[in-house]
Amino acid sequence: MINYLFSILTLVMIYGIAASSLNVLVGYAGIFSVAHAIFFGIGAYAGAQFSLLVSSDILLSCLVGAATAGVFSLLLAIPALRVRGEYFVAAALGLQMVGVTVFSEAHALTGGHGGLVGIPPATLLGMDVSSPGLFLLVCAVMLAIILYLVRRLMRLSFGRALMSIRDNETAAESFGKNVPKLKTLAMFVGCAFAGVAGTLFAYNMMFVNVESFTFEQSILMLAMVVIGGVGTLSGPLIGAIVLLSLPALLSFIPFIPPTEIGTVQQFIYGALMTLLMIFRPSGIAGKL
Amino acid sequence: MSNVLLSMRGLSINFGGLAAVQSVDMDLQEGIVTALAGPNGAGKTTLFNLITGNLTASSGRVTLRGKSILGRRPHQIASMGIARSFQDLRLFTHMTVRDNVLVAIEPASWLWQPGGRAAQRERMDKVDDALERTGLTALADSRAINLSYAETKFLSLARIIATGSRIWLLDEPASGLDVHSRTRFVSLLREATERGVTICLIEHNLDVMTEIADRIAFLDRGKKLAEDVPEKVLRDPELIAIYFGKSKQ
Repeated sequence: MINYLFSILTLVMIYGIAASSLNVLVGYAGIFSVAHAIFFGIGAYAGAQFSLLVSSDILLSCLVGAATAGVFSLLLAIPALRVRGEYFVAAALGLQMVGVTVFSEAHALTGGHGGLVGIPPATLLGMDVSSPGLFLLVCAVMLAIILYLVRRLMRLSFGRALMSIRDNETAAESFGKNVPKLKTLAMFVGCAFAGVAGTLFAYNMMFVNVESFTFEQSILMLAMVVIGGVGTLSGPLIGAIVLLSLPALLSFIPFIPPTEIGTVQQFIYGALMTLLMIFRPSGIAGKL
Repeated sequence: MSNVLLSMRGLSINFGGLAAVQSVDMDLQEGIVTALAGPNGAGKTTLFNLITGNLTASSGRVTLRGKSILGRRPHQIASMGIARSFQDLRLFTHMTVRDNVLVAIEPASWLWQPGGRAAQRERMDKVDDALERTGLTALADSRAINLSYAETKFLSLARIIATGSRIWLLDEPASGLDVHSRTRFVSLLREATERGVTICLIEHNLDVMTEIADRIAFLDRGKKLAEDVPEKVLRDPELIAIYFGKSKQ
């Protein structure tokens, strides 16, 4: 039972990081990405390959995952710097589809549909941290570091500049903001943080394949941000708690047959999103 | 003769078959307020967009203190000391009043505050000064989205004041203001020109134009038809007829 709780909490921490990283793009920079699972996936594959080929040190793996996802964020920057609004959403959707195809077909790097197996237990400075309790602690510390960095960045001129771009790109430019550079930096930061989440995810599952990085996963992360509160620090974490704890809570309700939990869960997600958008469009933690 | 800060020669732009601005020659002189007048669609805002780099001219040139600024990006032109406001204000609506002004003057960096704490304190002083001048100090922590119409107009001006830019391009800055607010607004513009700021403004209100403008450039269908002191331009029956919609055939 305690291990089950740990596993849910670990996923909450990992998805809390992923949703917070997406919030840098959506909430602060106004870049409405629906391809975030791709960068989560790049981080997962890069971290997993590093652990298989070089070292199972979780810190080094996270750095490799972050750097790889950060570099690949330039792929998202190409459409983001050229098109806005719904056109960018369509371009990001295209990137998501291309990303899934590459994950499925690049066997040498990703293991194809079969994925990468045999990821070794995580270590930290030579110490085994793969037990459920210790790994949860590692993920919690990583989440705290990412949240601190997001908070710090958004309180600096960089954060204000991003928010000015989000509110009005033309006005931000007319006050000296180099919009392409700032958007590219925001994407690098957001995607690098997603890479950290991906690496932790790979170590947690000890196996990665394309199924974890599909369009549905991108939408799940977006739902966490929207439900929790776009452009708030705590919102994405709250969103992750709500969306990941729901299936677990439902499994404890005796009159719902286990085979129907998925259906009930979908119904509750949909209803929750609809009610929130009507009564609290800024999300649970958002300002009214 | 005043010192020419910004100069346009033969400036033109076409949108498909429409010549939105046609061979406009104009100089903005230091400390002088030039009003752009003309009916809707005359090309006034388009001219601003050409100066600020939001649009690229089909032909002609724009020089700032003798140096060409044509082809530069809007953020580069802004950093050269040309600030602009927009007809629809384009405030950073979800940010506070203070942050709206602060973000307008701070160079965006990444992990550090440019210039350290001393520079940030200096910028905060500029923000406080701009808010005080525009009467927004008490609203500094309010979000821009919650301001009244007149307050948004003053915030739009506060952002420009704080930049310390020497050239202001203002697109209908006083439109829709009540008489009291308008008087305050005009006095702020006068204060700025006394400090040597050069202003070019688009204005439809003839009272504001006569109160503030030293010169009026009259545009119609992309062409500059006249430029002179307000007394002459506003008494030209042909221009007035165009302005009030009795366009010459």
